Amino acid sequence: MRGALSLNPTYYEALKRLTLELAGVNLGSDHAFLIETRLSSLSRKEGYESLDEMIEELFNTGQSRLALKVVSSLLERDTHFYTDRTSFDKVERVIFPALYPIHKGGKIRIVSFGCSSGQEVYCLAMALDKAKDKFPDVAIEIVGVDYPSSALDRAKAGRYTHFEVQRGLPIRDLLSYFDRQAEDWVIKEHIRKSVKFEETHLLSNLDSLGQFDIVVFRNALPHYSSPAQVRVLRGLSTLIKPLGYLLLGTNETLSHINYGFDPLARQPNVFRKREEKVEIIEDPDIKKPSNRKTFEKAKRRLKNMGDMRQTNSA
Amino acid sequence: MTAKTCLVVDDSRMIRRVASRILKDLKFDTKEAENGQDAIERCRLEMPDAILLDWNMPVMDGLDFLKELRKEPTGDKPVVVFCTAERDVLKITQALDAGADEYVMKPFDSDIIESKFFQAGLI
Repeated sequence: MRGALSLNPTYYEALKRLTLELAGVNLGSDHAFLIETRLSSLSRKEGYESLDEMIEELFNTGQSRLALKVVSSLLERDTHFYTDRTSFDKVERVIFPALYPIHKGGKIRIVSFGCSSGQEVYCLAMALDKAKDKFPDVAIEIVGVDYPSSALDRAKAGRYTHFEVQRGLPIRDLLSYFDRQAEDWVIKEHIRKSVKFEETHLLSNLDSLGQFDIVVFRNALPHYSSPAQVRVLRGLSTLIKPLGYLLLGTNETLSHINYGFDPLARQPNVFRKREEKVEIIEDPDIKKPSNRKTFEKAKRRLKNMGDMRQTNSA
Repeated sequence: MTAKTCLVVDDSRMIRRVASRILKDLKFDTKEAENGQDAIERCRLEMPDAILLDWNMPVMDGLDFLKELRKEPTGDKPVVVFCTAERDVLKITQALDAGADEYVMKPFDSDIIESKFFQAGLI
C-alpha cells in the first residue's frame, strides 16, 4: 500500500528530470500530489485508461508530443487577477510615464511571460484602458506567452469561472470589463482584441516575438535551475529594447551576472535596460540552448528508462 | 491594536457560522444578525467597521437595510460587502448604487472573502 498517491516513485523522479531537462524548471520535493492530479487530468483528456498507461507510453516510446504536453501540464500556474497589485501600479505609475514621452505617436509593446490562464495579461489591459486618458496618442500591444496548454487555451478564450473572477478582481472591474455568459464571465471584446497570446517558452528561440518595451516576468524565476535562470535572463535581455523595462515579482531580483539592466531606485523589482549595447558575460559552464539537442537527450533517457523497466520486470 | 468588527447578516445560520469562522481567521471580531431589521438595530447600538450582507432575507432584505444604514448618522462608516446568490448584472449594479463597497457571489470560499475584504481596504 502506497497511501493516496499511486504513481511509481521511479516515474515520479523521471518526470522531475524530464521537466528540468526540457524546461529548466526544478519541481520541488513536495510536488508529488501536483504531479499526480495534473497528469491524471491530462491522461483522461488524452484518452488513456489510466495515468499509469499514459506514463508507460511516455517512458516506453519517448514520444515528443506527449512529453511536451506532460511538461506543459506540470508547469501550469494557478494565477489570480491582480496577484500583487503593486506590480500593476508600477506599470501605470512608474514605467508608463517614463516610456510615454519617447513613444507618443507610436506604440508601446508589452509581453507577459508565463501568462498561464491570462489573468495578468487582462489585468494589464484593464489597467491601461483605465489610464488611457493619461496616455493619449499611443498604441499599446500586449502579448501573453506561455507553453501550449489548456490554461493558455482558456486565456485565449478569456472565459473565467465564478470563483476565478472573484479572486482578486474588484466588482466594478467585473462589471466594466466582463459579460456574464451562463455560469461564466467572459472578457469584453474590446479588451480581448487588445491582447494576443503566443505559444512558446523562454528556452526556445524568441526572435519571432520581436522586441518589447516592457517585459513582465513575475514569480517564475526562482523555479528555474541556476543554469536555466541565466539562459532565461539572457533571453529576456535580448527581448527588451534599449531603455525598456523588466518587471519581476515582488522580492525577486537579478543575480550578480550582468544582463545589461540597472535597478530603478526605490523600485526593487523594476529594472531598466541600458541604452548602449552590453556584452553579456558568457559562463563557459553553461551550454547554449538547443531545444532539439535537449529534447533528444531527454527522449533517449526516457527510452533507456523504458528498456530498464522492461528488463527489470522480465 | 484592537480588532476590526464585522457584522454578518444572513438568514441562514449555516452561512453565518461559516462566514464568521472565515472572518475570525482574518482577525475580525464578529457579530451576527439574521435579517435587515435585526442588523439595523445592532448598528444603532454599535456601528461595525464592516458588514457582510445577504440580499434575500425575511422582515427586511439586504438592499432595504443598506439604504436605511446609509441614512444613519454614522451609517457611512461601515464598509459593506454584499454576499448573495444574486448574480445578475442589474442586481449587482443596484447594490453598488445603493452604497455597497464590494460584492461576493455565493457560493464563496475563504480566498474570495479575503480577496474582497482586501479590495475593500479592510485588510
